[in-house]
Amino acid sequence: MWPLARLAAGAFSSSGAFLQVLSAGRYRTSLVNSLALSTAAAFVSVALALVPAWVFARERFPGRNLVRTAVSLPLTFSGVLVGFLVIVMLGRIGAVPKLAGLVTGREWFAGSAFTLTGLFLAYLYFEIPRAVMTLEAAFRHFPPELDAAARSLGAGPITRLLRVTLPYAAPALFSTLAVTFSASMGSFGVALVLSRRFTVAPLEIYTELTAFLNDAVAGALCVALAALTFGVDRLLARRAA
Amino acid sequence: MSLPVSPRRVARMAGIAVTVTLAVCLVAPLVVTAAGAFVHADWYGQRSEGAAAGGALGLFRYVLGLWSGAVVTSLRLVGTVVPLALFIGTPAAFAFRRRPFPGSGSLETLAMTPLAIPGIALAVGLLLGAGRTPRFGLLVAGHLAYTLPLVLKTVSNALEGESVDLERAARSLGAGPWKTAAWVTLPRLVPGLVLSALLVFAVSWGEFNVSFLLATPLVQTFPAGLYLTYTTNSFPVAAAATLIFLAPILPAFLAIQALGGEEFRRGLSS
Repeated sequence: MWPLARLAAGAFSSSGAFLQVLSAGRYRTSLVNSLALSTAAAFVSVALALVPAWVFARERFPGRNLVRTAVSLPLTFSGVLVGFLVIVMLGRIGAVPKLAGLVTGREWFAGSAFTLTGLFLAYLYFEIPRAVMTLEAAFRHFPPELDAAARSLGAGPITRLLRVTLPYAAPALFSTLAVTFSASMGSFGVALVLSRRFTVAPLEIYTELTAFLNDAVAGALCVALAALTFGVDRLLARRAA
Repeated sequence: MSLPVSPRRVARMAGIAVTVTLAVCLVAPLVVTAAGAFVHADWYGQRSEGAAAGGALGLFRYVLGLWSGAVVTSLRLVGTVVPLALFIGTPAAFAFRRRPFPGSGSLETLAMTPLAIPGIALAVGLLLGAGRTPRFGLLVAGHLAYTLPLVLKTVSNALEGESVDLERAARSLGAGPWKTAAWVTLPRLVPGLVLSALLVFAVSWGEFNVSFLLATPLVQTFPAGLYLTYTTNSFPVAAAATLIFLAPILPAFLAIQALGGEEFRRGLSS
């Protein structure tokens, strides 16, 4: 906690830094980019995680544990490693363009790792395992009697999904959104490896700190990023409670 | 007319197919990377570090030679952080659960905050707070900030799962509070402590923000070295470094999953 207090003190003592962060296009853009990318990644990863989470929570099939381990494996990868893996697949001589070249004669997606697409896919890559694991834990407590009761009362599959399953799962969805959103906001390693023109707040902090030795602005950006992350996280967590 | 298969069955098969596809997509990059470290083929591009190292393990020996200092620093770091986190976290969790004192609630909330704030903010705060002079002790402090909450959570869960009746029985039989803690509470916490140690190890070994920003050329950590390898070395070398980096963390992860480590759901910071 002490480093945070130090950060906040530093940022507020040089009052200009905060105004600069909030007004200067470059810093504000990085914060807005972070917000937009993290929000998009949170929603898409939760949407993609719904089916696997349900399958892991409800179904037993041969190889289930192996598949589950494979899905949760990226939890052990730090950000730079995820960035590297995206380059491996979508870099200028990545596996996907190479394979596409063999099949179609044109190297599709070559170098897309370094575009916004690559960055977004990297975010999804480390968010999906988090989303699946968090949702699975929630789905495991879903009482099947609820669904059966609704069916016996004559509700069709779509009505049951909209009126029974989704309202019941809503808190879990909100808390999963909170988890994935905060993880994306703090993601530094991925952008460090992949980002070329598109800037996000953690990258901007790093640049200010190391290239411009601008400690006051770096500190103010840190406080702004932490406040944004914490604020949205609390907001979502309150809906989840 | 009746369908050959029930809709429920179709939905089940489709769900499993989607899940398996996702698993394949998530694992594919790692497979390509592993292949790149073991297969010497032009397909993967040319090495920029001169002639290929001899033998299947030549590449790994080369990488270890390149980053031996960083690997040793990271091992020292993990070796310091794991015992410290357990020694501080276990009594703290015990105090929070069994003997709350005025202010212990806020202290616990305070100890948990590092999980809720972006890792880079914590790292920058430590760096600027120390007047831009990174030291090994700062690395330890940063890693402790991340890992203590995990120990607190895990040990608290274990303590809440244990009934206090046994402890009361020991006390009523004349054992003092220290004796009760050492002979009744602690032995029953062993699974929780093992899980905590594995969690701290995995997070500390893989953590990037603090390890990178608080590293210096003299005190280089392996995660920082990994980043430098990604930016400067050829693909086979980077692939081999990745595998060396993952070698200790993967068994720890499997053990965590086997012990039901829900606390790892958030994984490493990215």
